[in-house]
Amino acid sequence: MSERQTQDGTFKETKVKPGICIPWDEKLKELPEISGDRDIFQKVWEDNEALAYMYIWQCLLSF
Amino acid sequence: MEQLYAERLKRYVTAMRNEKPDKVPIRPFVAEFTAKYAGYTCQDVTHDYEKAFDAVCKCAADFDWDAVVGNMVYVWTGLTQAIGLKYYAVPGIDIPVDTGFQYLEPSEEEAFMRVDEYDALIEDPTGYLFNVWLPRVSDDVSAMDETTSYRNNLSFLKGGMAMLSYFNAFGPQGERLRTESGTVSAIAGILKAPLDILADKLRGYIGLCNDLLERRDKVIAACESLMPHLLHVALSGADPDKNVPITIWMHRGCVPFISEIDFREIYWATLKPIIEEIWARGHQVLFYAEGDWNHHLKSFAELPDQSIIYHIDQADPFEVHRMLGDKFCLSGGLPNVLLSFGTPDEVRDYCKKLIDGIGRDGGYIMDSSAIVQNDGKVENIRAMTDFTREYGVY
Repeated sequence: MSERQTQDGTFKETKVKPGICIPWDEKLKELPEISGDRDIFQKVWEDNEALAYMYIWQCLLSF
Repeated sequence: MEQLYAERLKRYVTAMRNEKPDKVPIRPFVAEFTAKYAGYTCQDVTHDYEKAFDAVCKCAADFDWDAVVGNMVYVWTGLTQAIGLKYYAVPGIDIPVDTGFQYLEPSEEEAFMRVDEYDALIEDPTGYLFNVWLPRVSDDVSAMDETTSYRNNLSFLKGGMAMLSYFNAFGPQGERLRTESGTVSAIAGILKAPLDILADKLRGYIGLCNDLLERRDKVIAACESLMPHLLHVALSGADPDKNVPITIWMHRGCVPFISEIDFREIYWATLKPIIEEIWARGHQVLFYAEGDWNHHLKSFAELPDQSIIYHIDQADPFEVHRMLGDKFCLSGGLPNVLLSFGTPDEVRDYCKKLIDGIGRDGGYIMDSSAIVQNDGKVENIRAMTDFTREYGVY
């Protein structure tokens, strides 16, 4: 769940990685057993998370 | 037109790599000036981004500029109104129709982030922004302990869709500049320093100054917690072709706004790794150093060669060139006061000084010191453009 650190360790670990608001692992706990392609659910979940993330950080930085 | 675009892109990129192109590139950061030139008011271009885009395209077609920003007014108040943001003075509502929008910083007591909320920000910045900060900065968003409302729900829906619509419009705007006038979109992606963000949008400048004295460790931890997010946002908006730079808008992180020690131990310590990481991934950063950052030029010189383009605002351009010219491309340095109140002859004289003094070996981009608002005289912008094109040939 943490952001990767640079080689010299200058970036701190984050509780939730950048680009995400609610981690997939947390959402997964709410769901019944997934059949078929599990990865597609995670990918689409995180793609949409990125939009919400962009919204709040762009509010902070740009607007 | 495509050939003209290719020539201009090559000229602009060559200069940004601190090398010598065929001519001095011209890349004016023209904001409300575009409205004045195209026959719009500040209200028009601030509240209707299509008009802002039109105004930029008209200027790009009429002036021989190598690169411009697709919309340098940038803050679309249609979007800020949809979200309910209350920290803008909007032309036609809070200020006169032909005055550029203003940012309103609240009093220390009304700061958007309270003094006892550092731990919450440090723990989860994104959650803090959504749950605590956004309800404070928006008239419409409900706080977590309030009943939700129609306005609250609409704020997210309208705000989200409006933001997407606005950002998606920049692609076609870039294409329009390319095909209509052969002009390059000058920048892509946004960065701000962690300490600047704390002052600008969270604690306010005075609140932050108190915190630097009274809870310095919390300030440092907050800046460190913002770092990975600011890096992520910067990279997510960057030019995939790695031609044009991410821009950092530098505000109040320099002496005398903060002390030299706070600059070195907090501002620079939490910004420098971001710049280095961005450069490691192949992107340059345009340091839009608003104000006078001459006190810190030695620190900036620590960065890898070519990693930044250093924009000169109030600083002495010749001192900046002496300190940084071997390492980085420089831009700007033409005083806005000259563009607003000077004569074309005075503008030409100053452009000559800049080209002779800091642009003689390449690695220089002609621009005003700060963004040009509607007080910039058309004849002076014309003089800057035509003189640079004629005289600035290598």
